[in-house]
Amino acid sequence: MKKMKRGHEETWDPPPQPQGEGPSMADKKADDNNNMDELLAVLGYKVRSSEMAEVALKLEQLEMVLSNDDVGSTVLNDTVHYNPSDLSTWVETMLSELNNPASSDLDPTGSYVDRSEYDLRAIPGLSAFKTEEEEGVDEESSSKRIRLGSWCESEGESTRSVVLVDSQETGVRLVHALVACAEAIQQEDLNLADALVKRVGTLATSQAGAMGKVATYFAQALARRIYRDYTAETDVSGGLFEEVLQMHFYESCPYLKFAHFTANQAILEAVTTARRVHVIDFGINQGMQWPALMQALALRPGGPPLFRLTGIGPPQTENSDSLQQLGWKLAQFAQNLGVEFEFKGLAAESLSDLEPEMFEIRPESETLVINSVFELHRLLARSGSIEKLLATVKAVKPSIVTVVEQEANHNGIVFLDRFNEALHYYSSLFDSLEDSYSLPSQDRVMSEVYLGRQILNVVAAEGTDRVERHETLSKWKIRMRSAGLDPVHLGSSAFKQASTLLSLFATGDGYRVEENDGCLMLGWQTRPLITTSAWKLAGATESRR
Amino acid sequence: MSEKRINMVEKSNNKRQRVNQVPEFNINDHHDVLVEIFRRLDGPSLCSAACVCRLWSAVARNDSIWEELCFRQVSPRPSLSLRSVVSALGGYRCLYFLCIRPVLARLPKVLWTRDQLQLSLSLYSVHYYERLHVGAWLGDAPPSSLMFLRKPVNVV
Repeated sequence: MKKMKRGHEETWDPPPQPQGEGPSMADKKADDNNNMDELLAVLGYKVRSSEMAEVALKLEQLEMVLSNDDVGSTVLNDTVHYNPSDLSTWVETMLSELNNPASSDLDPTGSYVDRSEYDLRAIPGLSAFKTEEEEGVDEESSSKRIRLGSWCESEGESTRSVVLVDSQETGVRLVHALVACAEAIQQEDLNLADALVKRVGTLATSQAGAMGKVATYFAQALARRIYRDYTAETDVSGGLFEEVLQMHFYESCPYLKFAHFTANQAILEAVTTARRVHVIDFGINQGMQWPALMQALALRPGGPPLFRLTGIGPPQTENSDSLQQLGWKLAQFAQNLGVEFEFKGLAAESLSDLEPEMFEIRPESETLVINSVFELHRLLARSGSIEKLLATVKAVKPSIVTVVEQEANHNGIVFLDRFNEALHYYSSLFDSLEDSYSLPSQDRVMSEVYLGRQILNVVAAEGTDRVERHETLSKWKIRMRSAGLDPVHLGSSAFKQASTLLSLFATGDGYRVEENDGCLMLGWQTRPLITTSAWKLAGATESRR
Repeated sequence: MSEKRINMVEKSNNKRQRVNQVPEFNINDHHDVLVEIFRRLDGPSLCSAACVCRLWSAVARNDSIWEELCFRQVSPRPSLSLRSVVSALGGYRCLYFLCIRPVLARLPKVLWTRDQLQLSLSLYSVHYYERLHVGAWLGDAPPSSLMFLRKPVNVV
C-alpha cells in the first residue's frame, strides 16, 4: 500500500491542459476522466484518475485501522471480495465491513436496532452506545473502539465510523443467541430455532476459551433436538468409552477425587470398630475409590477388617469380563497391603433391577455400606425406579449410605428452565477446567467430551433416554426422608481433607468447599457443583459399629 | 640449613610412621553412621548428599531416612503399621517425592495433622493402583492422577 501511495503522489497533479485546445483535446480530457491511471494499471490496479484522492484517503484509514488492532483483521477475513483489482470498491468494502461487523447477523432477540446517522447497531443487551460528538478524540476506550480520524471530514460525508470489537460482547451475544434458540424450541418455532442454532455455531467458533466450548456443545445438542436426532448409546462399547472418559475426568479435576475421598471418610467413620465390612458400590467403573479406602482400613488401629466389595456395572458382552478383571486388580492391591479381600461383580441394566438377595449379605457378621457416586439420578427417568431402589436399600439394612450427586436442577418439566440451568452449570464446570494451565491437554479435552455427552443428554434427549436428571440436595433430602433414611453429618475430617485437596490444585482459589447442614458441597467460585451426603436408616442408633 | 631440613624430614617420617600405626577413620566404612547423619538432613541437603558419590547415593536410598523426613513435622509419630503399608505402596522415598514434597511446596504453612497425612496417603494409593493396573488400559499415556501436584502453581 505504501508503494501505491508513492505512485499516487507522483501522478497526483495531472499535467495542466493548455486552454483553447481543439475538440480532439477536449475529447482526450473526457477520455482521461474515464481512463484508469496508467502507472497503477501497470501494477495491476485499476483506479480512476478522478477517484485517486478518495482512494488514497481511504487506504490511509484502512492502514490505520489494521495497524492499530489485529482483531480488525479477523473481522475482515470473512468479507467477500469479487474484484480486488478495483481498488476503490475494494477499499469501500473493507471499510464498510469494519464499520458494520455484524451486518449479516440476525438480531435474535428482536430488540431495537438503532439506525442512526452514526451507522451503528445497538448490541442487544448492552446499554446504548453513546457516541462522542467531538472529533480528534483518538484514545481508545476500554471496549477497544477504533476511531477513524478527523480526516473523514474532508470527504464531505459525515461517516463517523467506529469499530466495536470486544470479546466480552461476543460472549454476551452468544448467550443471548443460545437462550433465544431454546426459547424458539420451547415455542415449537423450529425454523427460527434452526436459523439461530446456525448463528450460534458461527459465533461460538470465534469465541475463545470456556465460553466458546460450552456454546459449541450446547449448539450441537440444540441441533440434535431440533432434528430429533438423539440416539441413546446402548452398546457396550459405548459404556467402555464412557469409562475411559470418566478416567480422564478423574485425572484432570478434583470433582471425582473430592467425591471419593469425602465418601471414604464417611465410611471410615461409620465402620470404626467393625471386623467385617461389606461395601456395595452402585457404579464400580474402574474402582478408583477403593484403593484409598483399603489403605485407610489397613492403617486402622487394631488392624484392617475383612473387606468385601460388591461392584455393580453395566451388562457385559460375552467375551469381556471386565468386572472380574477389576476384581482381580483390586484383590492384588489388597494383598499387597495385607487386607483380606473378597469381590463380587454384579451386572445390571438398571439399578432398580437389583433385589436384596443378589447381594448375599451376612447381616450377623458384617457391617453393610452402600455407596453411590453420580448413579441415583439416572433412575429418575422411569417412574417408580428410584422408589424401588430405595426400598431395596432399606431392606438390606445398611449402616451408612453415601451419596454423591450433581448439585443442579436439570430435571424440571419446562425445557427452557432446564436449558438455562444447564447452561449456567456447565459454564461453571468448563470454566474450572479452563483455568488449569497445568493440565496435559489430552485429559482436558477428554474431560470436555465427557461433559459434552452430559450436555447432549440434558438438552436433546427426552423420556427414558434422558438419564442425566440432576436434582439439588434439597430434593434428594426429601426423597431420602420419604424413603425412611435420615441424614448423617459428615465430620470435620472430611472437610479438612477436601480443603487441602482443593488447595493443591493449581486453580485452588477458584474451588470452594462448603458445609451445608452436614453435607459437603464442592463448587467453583460461588456456584456449588457437586454434593456429598451420608444417610442411615431412620431410627437407627447413632453409635457406629 | 641442610641439617634443619634433614631434621624436618626425619620428624615427618616419624610422624608418618606414627600415623600409620593408627587405623584411618573413613566415614564411608560405617554405613550406619552415614544413615544416622543423613536422617538429620533436610530435603535439599539430602538430595545434594545423594549426588556426591555412588556409595552415598546408595545409602541415601535407605527408606528410614525418608521416613524421618516425611514425618519430622508430624506428631504423634504414626504407627508401625504405616511402615508396612507405605513399603507396599512403593516406599517413603517415592511418597516424599510424589506427594509430600509438592504439598509442602504448595502449602508451606500447612500443619501436618492426621488429615493431611491421610490425604497424602490416599493420593499415593491411587497413584500406585493406577501405575500397576490402569496405565496400560488408558493407552500410552502414563497415569497422571498426581499430575496436578507436579506442575508449578501459577502464582500471580
